[in-house]
Formats: sequence, structure tokens, C-alpha cells
Amino acid sequence: MLHYLLKRILLMIPTILGVAVVIFVLMRMLPGDIVEMRLAGEGSYVQQETIDNERAKLGLDKPMLQQFTDYMWGLAHLDFGYSMWTGRPVTYEIGVRFGLSLQIAIMSTIIAVLLAIPLGTLAALKQDTWVDYGVRIFSIAGLATPSFWLGIMIILAFLVVFHWTPPMVYTPIWKDPWANLSQLIWPALATGYRYSAVATRMTRSAVLEVLREDYIRTARAKGLWQQLILRRHALKNAMLPVITVVGLEFAFLLGGLVVTEQVFNLNGIGKLFVDAVTQYDYTLVQALVMIVATVFIVSNFVVDVLYAWLDPRIRYR
Amino acid sequence: MSSQPFDIDLAAPAEPSPARQAWLAVVKFTREKPLGAAGAAIVIVMILAAVFADVIAPYNPLATDYGAMLGAPSAQHWLGSDEFGRDLLTRIIYGARTALLVGFTAAFIGATLGLVIGVASAYFGGLIDLIIQRIVDVFISFPLIILALAVVAALGTGVDRVILAILIPMVPRAARICRSGALAIREMPYVDAARAAGFRDRRIILRHMLPNVVAAYLIVLTSFLGQAILLEASLSFLGLGVQEPTPAWGLMLHGGASQYAESAPWMAIYPGVAISLAVFGFNLFGDSLRDALDPRLRTQ
Repeated sequence: MLHYLLKRILLMIPTILGVAVVIFVLMRMLPGDIVEMRLAGEGSYVQQETIDNERAKLGLDKPMLQQFTDYMWGLAHLDFGYSMWTGRPVTYEIGVRFGLSLQIAIMSTIIAVLLAIPLGTLAALKQDTWVDYGVRIFSIAGLATPSFWLGIMIILAFLVVFHWTPPMVYTPIWKDPWANLSQLIWPALATGYRYSAVATRMTRSAVLEVLREDYIRTARAKGLWQQLILRRHALKNAMLPVITVVGLEFAFLLGGLVVTEQVFNLNGIGKLFVDAVTQYDYTLVQALVMIVATVFIVSNFVVDVLYAWLDPRIRYR
Repeated sequence: MSSQPFDIDLAAPAEPSPARQAWLAVVKFTREKPLGAAGAAIVIVMILAAVFADVIAPYNPLATDYGAMLGAPSAQHWLGSDEFGRDLLTRIIYGARTALLVGFTAAFIGATLGLVIGVASAYFGGLIDLIIQRIVDVFISFPLIILALAVVAALGTGVDRVILAILIPMVPRAARICRSGALAIREMPYVDAARAAGFRDRRIILRHMLPNVVAAYLIVLTSFLGQAILLEASLSFLGLGVQEPTPAWGLMLHGGASQYAESAPWMAIYPGVAISLAVFGFNLFGDSLRDALDPRLRTQ
């Protein structure tokens, strides 16, 4: 077990380094840079000297290799540098928005799990009946519906039916939980539906698989109450792959939030990312991508270890 | 034998003609997988709309008509018109073209590159496999849309760049799946036999291993199709994908649609219905295809 853990941890390092290299190279391929973008807005003619000064301030005049070593050195110290657009530390820019996105992510996960486990189990129990077809259509539709469009539809429905829009100004949950929830539940629903679709399908196939096992037949043969078989024998064993999917998707939620936050005009991490991309804010894009990828890599690792630990049938190699 | 009086036509209980065989296969698929057939029907309608857009679309997709600005659905404009008076139905029909062009190209190239890389990685094993898999690890660590956005940021927008932005994150995902399929096949006796017979690596990979990974490849391809269409819509919605005036579903939801949501809700409703229906069709079809091709790779 220790050997396995060590090997997995060691394998994470080159992956994270690789992510850092890829995103660094991608950002340097951009045509034009932030200095030109920012100064272009100020007037028709800018002196070359001003451009050079600005570049020097941001460290863009240094040779590529040195920019790269500076960047890696900073990462090693968990120093992500300063936003090239606002000039504030990247960690500050991310910090002010993190709570909002995290809250939506957690709420989406809760919605997804609450939908997925009952629906998926039901579909498996009633395999190939109209209930199963209904659940499958519902979940495939969830994968097909873009969350941003679902968001627009939610807003539209409120506008037309209730002449009401969700509040546009963010209130932290500790200040006014009601105002906070009435704003954030909608983006969470829009993202959660898609997320639930993935989990529902996983639950369905996991339960189906478990129901075919010998120990379920044994439990039935000894006359155990159907509900008990389901809860104690089937669901418990079926939950492992479901937990995996939920865990892995959580890291990917940020991707879903990129578009949903735009629709609901929420100033979260997703919107920050889109803004950073459109404004050529290298440092900010780099930092955000590094964080997302690292979260994904680490949660992948945690899920694998949990899996191995929960299921004695899995051997470590 | 031909001189005998009761010479019977030996071809009498003939093999059904290829066309009929294909038809029978379609009937069988429809009966066994009604959902898959429904998906296939949606896909076919979409392909027809894309191919014959010039014939079926009632208007020119770019023609503006200031008399019909934000017009409600009517006999002239079945699905209404947008803030420039462009007919929505027409733009949705032409949008199928953009969606399919981007979807098919990105999914096909992405899945195929992934197939080649995955099979080569499995076949050579050892250090090559290790290196390729670490690179795949790196690219899989980016959520799809994040990597696509980063590529768009680096390369710019427009149909060709969007295709590239979508296919790049798909290659490693396809490679991972095809590699695991190929790993099992590498251990098969016939691959050893081919190697013992002195065939070259290239021939073994192309002739002996690739055909056996086709099921996995087709499954990856169909699931990518829906994802690619969805991703293109998301990028275009953010204004970082296909650019005006090209008709594209995601783009139709960008800007005007939410701005005029209250007075012209049709602008926000129909393009989204088109996206959902298209992806829904591809997913339904892909799911059933997966069940039919390989029960072990069942729906997640």
C-alpha cells in the first residue's frame, strides 16, 4: 500500500509540471500582448518607449526561457504573481471570487446526487420498462442540454410568469442566507442537471451490475425483505463507482461554471477565466488553469486511493 | 447438371441483395433499440437540413429586414426573427451546417488521431508507452472547455480554429480509451503469430490491431460528436467561437438573445432547442450503438 501511494504521488509531479509547461507555451502563442491591448484603448498613437516600459514592468521583455524559469520558481513558492490587467495579486483576484463558485459547485453536487441516486436506482430496478426509458431520456437530455441555455430558460420563465428576476447582486450566505440562496440556486440547478445526468447513468449501470451478483440472489433466496436487500446489499456496493464519478466531475465543475456564470452574470471563477482569456492576462490564465488542473489531479489521486481502500478486491500494483 | 429436366436455379433461396440486407439491419436495429433509432432519425433530419439548407431554408441567412426586427413567430417567419430582422428558422437550418461541420471534423480527426496514438502506445509498450501516457495525463487534467478556451485564446476565433480548439482536448481522451482496448488485443495469439511471421510493426498495427479496436473507436467517435457540437455552442455563446455573421446556434444565443429575452423570447428559445435536440440525437444513437457493439463498454 505504501509503495502504491508513493508511486502515485511521484507520478503526479510530472503531470503537474507538464500542465505548467503546456499552459505557458499556449499563452506565449497569443498574437499581440496585453500591453498593446491596454494601450490601444488609450489613444491612436503610443510611443514605443511607453510600450517598452510597460513590457519591462510586467517582465515581458525578458527572454522566454527566463520568463519560464521565473514562472516555475514562483509556482514552487506558490507565488502566482500579479494580474497583468488589474495589477493586483492573482491570489487576491481569485480569492474574492472563490467562495461564490465553490458554493455553486457544492450546491450543484448536492442537487446532482439527490437526483441521481433515486432515479438511477429506480431505472435499474425497472430495467426496460417505461420508467427506465423515462429516466434514461431525462438523463440523456441532461447531457444534451447546454447549461447556459437552461440558465437562460430559467431566467426567461421567471420573467414571463412571475415578472421577477433572480437578484443580480451577490450577497454572501452569512449575511443574508435567503437572498443568497434565491440567487444561487438557479445557476446551481442549471449546472446540477447536467452533472446529475452523468451520475444517474453511472448509478443505473452500477446497480444493474450489482443486482446480478450471487450475494443478491442468496439474500433473496433466504427471503430477505426486498427493501433491505436493496439498501444494505445492492446500494452499498453500487455506490463505489458513483462516488468516483461524482468526485471526478466535481473537479470539472469549473468548466460548467465558465458558461453558467456568464448567463447569470455572476462574478465567479468561471467569469474571471473568460475575462482573463479575452484580456490576454497571461498570469491570471496560467494560475487559474494550474489550480483547476491540480485540483483535478489531486482529486483523481484521492478517488483512486479511496477506491483501493474501500474495495479490498482492488490490488495495488 | 444443366442438361437435366428439373434443373433448379441454385441461386433460388438467394442471399438478400445488399440493399435489402441493409434495410433488414435497419429494421432490426429499430425494433431492438427504439431509442437509438429515434436518435438516428434526428441525426438524419439534421444532416438533410445541413446539406439541403439552400433549398429548404425560406430566406437568405444573412438577409436583414428592418421591417421584421424582433418579429414574433408568424406565417412569414415561422420561428420569428432576430434584432436584425433575420429569419430564425433559416438561421437554425444553416446553423445545422456549422454544427455538423465543426462536430464531424473535430470528432473524426480527434478520435482518429487518438486511435493511432493509443494503439501505437499499447503496441510498443515500455518507455514509449510510459512517455505517451504521461503526456496524455497532462492533457486530460484540463477540463474540456478550459483547454479549448486556452487554445482559442492562443489561436484566435473562427470556424477552423474552433475545430482545432475542440479536437485538441479530444485526442488524449480517445487515445486513453483506444489504448486500453488495444492492450487486450496485443496479448492475443494472432498478434504474436504475426510478429513471428516477421511482419513489420506498421503492418501489424494497421492490419491486425486497428480493425479490432474499431468498436471502441466508433463508440468514442459517436460520443465525441455530441460533445463537439455542445462545445462549439458553448464557445460561440461566449463569443469565443464561430463569429458573426456565420449562422451558428451558440452564437445566436450570444448577445441579442438575452438582451431581448423579455420582448423576443423566441430568439433565446429555438436555437437552444436545436442544440439540445441535435446533441440528444447523437447521444441516443451513440448509446445504442455502444450497447450493440460491445456490451462490456456499457453506458456509464
